[in-house]
Amino acid sequence: MKRFKRSWIIPLMLMILAVVIVVAASIGTVYVPIQSIIRIILNKLGLVNNSGFEPYQMAIIYSVRLPRVLAAVLIGSALATTGAVLQGMFRNPMADPGIIGVSSGAGLGAVTAIALGLSASSIFYLPLFASVGALLAALIIFVLSLRGGKVAVFTLILSGIAVSTFLGAITSMILSFTSKDNVHEFLFWSMGNLYSIRWESVQLVFIPIIIGVVILITFARDLNVMLLGEEEAQSVGVNSSKIRMLILIVASITTAAAVCISGPISFVGLIVPHIMRIILGPDHRLLLPASAVAGAIFLVICDLIARIAFAPIEINVGIITSLVGAPYFLYLLIRSRRAGGVF
Amino acid sequence: MTDNIAIEISGLSFSINRTDIIKDINLTVEKGEFIGVIGPNGSGKTTLLKCINGILKPSGHITINQHNRKDLSTKKMAREISFMHQNTTITFPFSTLDVVLMGRYPYIRKFANEGKKDYKIAEKCMEYTDTLSLKNKPITQISGGEKQRVLFAKVLAQEANILMLDEPTANLDITHQEQIFKYARELCDGGKTVIAAVHDLKIAARYCSKLVLLNEGKIIAKGQPNEVLTSDNLSRAYGVNALVYKNRITGLLDFYLHGYEKTDKKEHIHVIGGGGSSSGVIRQLFENGFLVTAGVFAHGDSDLESAKVFGIEYTESDPFTDISDEAMNKNIGMIESSYLTILCNMPFGWQNMKNLEAAKHADKLVIIEDDDYKKRDFTDGKATKLYNELRKNAVIVTSATLHEAI
Repeated sequence: MKRFKRSWIIPLMLMILAVVIVVAASIGTVYVPIQSIIRIILNKLGLVNNSGFEPYQMAIIYSVRLPRVLAAVLIGSALATTGAVLQGMFRNPMADPGIIGVSSGAGLGAVTAIALGLSASSIFYLPLFASVGALLAALIIFVLSLRGGKVAVFTLILSGIAVSTFLGAITSMILSFTSKDNVHEFLFWSMGNLYSIRWESVQLVFIPIIIGVVILITFARDLNVMLLGEEEAQSVGVNSSKIRMLILIVASITTAAAVCISGPISFVGLIVPHIMRIILGPDHRLLLPASAVAGAIFLVICDLIARIAFAPIEINVGIITSLVGAPYFLYLLIRSRRAGGVF
Repeated sequence: MTDNIAIEISGLSFSINRTDIIKDINLTVEKGEFIGVIGPNGSGKTTLLKCINGILKPSGHITINQHNRKDLSTKKMAREISFMHQNTTITFPFSTLDVVLMGRYPYIRKFANEGKKDYKIAEKCMEYTDTLSLKNKPITQISGGEKQRVLFAKVLAQEANILMLDEPTANLDITHQEQIFKYARELCDGGKTVIAAVHDLKIAARYCSKLVLLNEGKIIAKGQPNEVLTSDNLSRAYGVNALVYKNRITGLLDFYLHGYEKTDKKEHIHVIGGGGSSSGVIRQLFENGFLVTAGVFAHGDSDLESAKVFGIEYTESDPFTDISDEAMNKNIGMIESSYLTILCNMPFGWQNMKNLEAAKHADKLVIIEDDDYKKRDFTDGKATKLYNELRKNAVIVTSATLHEAI
């Protein structure tokens, strides 16, 4: 049964993802029929000739909607995979990518770029500053939690909270000295959005996210053993301190890449792995790839809702993920408390 | 010669915040030995095991199958030593087979998955520990005894030559407690080396080929079980009165431990008994801190064994013959020097009539009378006559009310 599940679930999910991508691209202020979208994609891949769609459809789909949908795929999968890996590594169901400080660090980087007026001069400055901020924050938390060459898990979680709070305070301070327009720009960024995504943004993060997600998935078997506890893992030959460091580094880079073009999108990294764990069980060899695909599906759908729910006004995708995520978080909280959990 | 050595430890110490948890441990473990590490809670048993397989980083030198511990990577170490931890909690519903397969970790390369061979080994190990029928069950839904056997199968699947068990019987029912030790014993006979931290001294005495007794992080005795498990060693380690004796029924070493009772009442009480009637009385008096003597016991009498266990002075004579004058005089001497004499609920025959006569010398006499004494008389009334005389000046109690008289 289990082997069977393992062999079909990922291809099935990939098919769903493909359908969701095409459907999401077709829906919007301007409706483009699905067969036209498929022809546009195939045309761009050089497989069919220039027929079966109008030039304006080509412009909308190729220049606006596709990069945006692809960004949602990449970011959703980056956040969900990182979340699943961190939950397993910390043996803590409430862990998410924010725990390693990337969101607050990216926030500080973003506000710096905005306040210095750099974000207006080139679209690359904001992601650059955001990713540098994210990585620096992760590095600080990482170094703080090192003890004798090992990462102390609880120190990491607590210093993560402290550093995030501290960076958040600096961000707020900069915001209180800057112009109204800048505040507005930052707020818009910080709610998480895929509004301004162009091909350039996708190109920027495509490689780091794909590589990061693939590397994280290769830690599946180590993470399984680490679920038994640190000493148990070490006794069967898992060098958990080394693996933990590698995971933290790769997870920081992957999340930083995701957050830098979209702003922090909350709850994807928390709820997607949970849903997958409930459906598929705790085995990371299945859980990690499934979370990667499910995160992509989830974010593409949330972004679609964000675009069309209040059309022509668009809302931030971070709002939609939170609207779905927060109630689920509460549900987990209550269920865990009923089961005599620690939360 | 050195080929025969599995583990060599010299000058091993480990401390946390400058407090020594274990200090200056020197130990050589030969292949095929079953070493039991015993000692009171907090004596460093678990710490010693964790230092050997590198979970903790101690100072000192450890050689494992001719490799310096520091030269072994975590994976290589896992191929030399497998470790069964105490209280492994698995909150995630992995199937038991998946858990056992985790034992194959040190043999699988980074980007590979478990192969057919790994499945075969895992299933063989589960068959050995009688858990194969559970292989598709989640580990979270089986009993404590089953879980322990699954975890033992995982340890076996690791195919290491040295097995370390950290109190594998903790939290198990009596029926399951010895199972892991039986497996381990069998594996030792097959050439594996086992080092186990053992809480239960009886189990340690029964299964281990060698014992190491730890106290406050130091080895205070090591060697064969009967060399290590002496009253003296145990009293020193556990800080209680420890008595070691051979259980007459099981033929195994048995222990009697009780805390020191610091009392001033060192009054001397003499016990007259025989035929198993006085064992309980002797124990009761001993626990209350009295100076106890007893007699006259025939050889082979279980009362005599009790006297030996509690290390008290006693008088003995040959069985099936009358008590010798020498024994009689010694007995009277004990009675006269005692503050109180207790006559137990014993049967009276011609051989031990002199015990009743000796009781007349008692200054204060307590008679335990659980059964009608006439039924205990096998001397056609002669004993009854003597007994009645004794009763006149004695306090009559039953075993249950003895403590009141004392």
